[in-house]
Amino acid sequence: MVKTKTKLATIAVTFLAAITLAGCSNNSSSESSSAAVKLQTAYKNPDKTDKSATKNGTLKLALVNNAPFQGITDPALAPNESDSQAFAPGGSGNLFNVDKNYKIVDGGMANQKLDRKAKTATITLRSNAKWSNGSPVTAKDIEYAYEVLGNKNSTSQQYSSDFENLEGMAEYHAGKADTISGITYPDGENGKVAVLHFKKMAPSMKFAGNSYIWQYVEPYEYIKDVPIAKLAASEQIRKNPIFTGPYKLDKVVEGESTSWSPNKYYYGKKAQIGHITINVVSMNNIDKALQSKKYDSVVPSGAGSLGGTDYKNLKSLKDYTKVGQPAFTYSYFAFNLGHFDTKTGKNVMDSNKKMANKNLRQAMMYALNIDQVTKKFGNGVKQRANTLLPPIFSKYYDKSAKGYTLNIKKANKLLDEAGYKKRNGSKWRSDPKGKPLTIYFGAMTSSATTEATYQDYLQQWHKIGLNVKFTNGKPMEMNSFYDTLQKPSQDKMDIWLGAWSTSSEPTETQLYGDTAPFNYGHFVTKKNSELISAMNNSASWNDKTRTKVFKEWQNYMNSQAGVVGEEFSYNWQPVNNRVKGFDFGPANNEFYSDLTLTSSKLK
Amino acid sequence: MWKTILRRILIMIPEVIILSILVFLLAKAMPGDPFTGSINPKADPAQLHHLMKINGLYDPWYQQYWNWVVHLFHGNLGNSYQYQEPVTRLIGSRAVNTLWLALFTTVLTYCFALPMGMYAAKHEGKLPDSIIRVYTYVTFCIPFFVILVIGVWIFGYVLGWFPTTGSISSTANPGLPSIGSRFYHILLPGVLGALFGTVNVVQYLRSEVIDAKRSDYVRTARSKGVPEKDIYRHHIFRNSLLPIAAFAGYSITGLLNGSLFTETVFSYPGMGLLFINSISYRDYTVITALVLIYGILNLLGTLLSDIILSIVDPRIRIQ
Repeated sequence: MVKTKTKLATIAVTFLAAITLAGCSNNSSSESSSAAVKLQTAYKNPDKTDKSATKNGTLKLALVNNAPFQGITDPALAPNESDSQAFAPGGSGNLFNVDKNYKIVDGGMANQKLDRKAKTATITLRSNAKWSNGSPVTAKDIEYAYEVLGNKNSTSQQYSSDFENLEGMAEYHAGKADTISGITYPDGENGKVAVLHFKKMAPSMKFAGNSYIWQYVEPYEYIKDVPIAKLAASEQIRKNPIFTGPYKLDKVVEGESTSWSPNKYYYGKKAQIGHITINVVSMNNIDKALQSKKYDSVVPSGAGSLGGTDYKNLKSLKDYTKVGQPAFTYSYFAFNLGHFDTKTGKNVMDSNKKMANKNLRQAMMYALNIDQVTKKFGNGVKQRANTLLPPIFSKYYDKSAKGYTLNIKKANKLLDEAGYKKRNGSKWRSDPKGKPLTIYFGAMTSSATTEATYQDYLQQWHKIGLNVKFTNGKPMEMNSFYDTLQKPSQDKMDIWLGAWSTSSEPTETQLYGDTAPFNYGHFVTKKNSELISAMNNSASWNDKTRTKVFKEWQNYMNSQAGVVGEEFSYNWQPVNNRVKGFDFGPANNEFYSDLTLTSSKLK
Repeated sequence: MWKTILRRILIMIPEVIILSILVFLLAKAMPGDPFTGSINPKADPAQLHHLMKINGLYDPWYQQYWNWVVHLFHGNLGNSYQYQEPVTRLIGSRAVNTLWLALFTTVLTYCFALPMGMYAAKHEGKLPDSIIRVYTYVTFCIPFFVILVIGVWIFGYVLGWFPTTGSISSTANPGLPSIGSRFYHILLPGVLGALFGTVNVVQYLRSEVIDAKRSDYVRTARSKGVPEKDIYRHHIFRNSLLPIAAFAGYSITGLLNGSLFTETVFSYPGMGLLFINSISYRDYTVITALVLIYGILNLLGTLLSDIILSIVDPRIRIQ
């Protein structure tokens, strides 16, 4: 599961240090690459694998993070992505293999069969599935994950009401039941089959990362004596965890590094490289670390570890090859259009809100020069987001959607039509009733580059005569920003710039649905609700229909301009040329097993 | 003497209580909560509310404070929300890292600074004195993080002499190799810290020594024919240490403060980073515990400084 925002605890320090590092290098900041970067997900190394180097060598990976990782190996309990990266070679107890569209396919640790009539999902473990201590993975291990997630004392932040679609889960979560009645074992707890009984079935269940079926197992026998509330602090999870993946953990140095060796009990393709080490490297050191060949690559992640400035510094790095794919993240502009009714649990649009006029919203979007901004600052790894769905979902993403490109003339026309005119010689437009109009723009503190783009956006809006100002006069600290948005009703921000990172199943209910608390702009229309529910209705079991619904939704959202995409990022990383078999595309389910080395030292 | 110490310790009790209430209130007054940063499309706000509730974060502040105090007296500082482990354990592991680095840096700083200060004073106004003075001013002027970034770049990345991240190698075996690896990891940040942190000690010592050189008792000692070496060692040095001794208490308790810059540049998990992270994550339990520890350490530092001073200088012993 991909987290939304990494908190940059040490923004000030990072920023200062980044300036210094930039001072050390002789790149001029004015040069810019314009073309969008397009890379392969795989590095096809023509060299031959060196067997002894592979067997005795160490693959060195960097985990790019400014803070120490938390050290929680359990995916149900880990609070953010740095933990899953630090323990990635262990496989996290992942149940399913997926294809390039993240659809669950047979051949992984378990196969999944959905029965729409009986409303069940049958998960069958392969007979040789084992934990790295040699004990078998059982049906109980599948069930126990739901207990860890849903226990009323659990520290997990991953539980959501969607899991209550599983029979008996709500009762278990409330503490009214000791077991989850909706999970049964046809051949016993120690068997290989678990059947999940649902209240309703959803097409998203076919995809990994959906919100109904948890895709990881928990080592029940190994951790059953630890109370679930204390699991995250236990030795079994932190110091001596067991895994189901190709590598087993040799050692973890709290918050800074992990080291791995092949897990002889792994059911799949055997790991080939003798050792893997993963070290935390701060964002301001990673470029220099790769340039001085301290690491073979960085640990892959869905959101991508490296940004545009790194790309500029590292794009022509000798002896490294770049790989990449679109990231799961996108940033967006949202407008404040209503409030959240806490009594009914629903978002409500208010027609008297400042931004309720569609022309005004569209005009603001047409006034922006995002294409120029990404060209100038994105170094090719940022692109204007033409929809609200990142292109990694190649099937659903509507490449042809236009979105909003710079058109000042059109913006002015839209405003004139709607009655937003300059009156009494003022340089600013007033609202159709003739009252002065000041629009407040909410943005989060960020890197110098990003804050420069905020200034550019303000300038663009001023160009069409709109008096737009920062909320509170300056970019806001992240906690204050979300604290403001999370209020059921707020008038401090009229438009804001936020970011989301989706999971590998992009149903939009939680972000844009009428009951979604994360629908901070409270954009609700009948059509939108219909489209979102259509993503998971029975017709959408047909992949073609589902694709159509997703595309229709993207275009509808663009036409309404309630929430509009800003930028997509590209997830890229360099790989040292001694590494062979590197393919971090979604369809490669044996990523760590496939890796070999062609020499004992980094090239 | 003992009475004074006891009195001072008794005064510290209300100070600590007021400090803890202040810290507790200020931490809660910050916008956001420990789960603000966890929102993502798959997170359920209802579950985050549930977590807030079971952690008692919706209770009125005096109740939360009371619970916290009760736990405190049971030696329980609570669980970190972010790290999901007991705060005592978390701080313990970071404190060890910080202590190693700080102790090494401090000892090294004094090793560099004391001889430098003495030497400069001895050769007052001559070339060595000028060199040392320029050196201390220059090192004082350059921001420390610049030194760290340049240091890690030259010695870590370009020359490759020192490790660049962490506190220990991920593959070091337990026992002697692991101690060696720890030492190897603090060598570069420690030496840089010491080389560029000498200014206070050097300047204080130098001016004190210069003053002492001209004082009557030194003249008397000289006229008695005491060898120059002994004059410096026994008469001047001890007296000149007074201002440095005044700081000693702080530098001992300050060992645990951690250095944010060093920890960030070297990805070294210590107290400084932990403190900053806990603030931006609104990890209340960690914030309050750390501020309280720092507060107590500071109070102890002043006390310790006074005690050291009174040992060094019998004149200010309080009856």
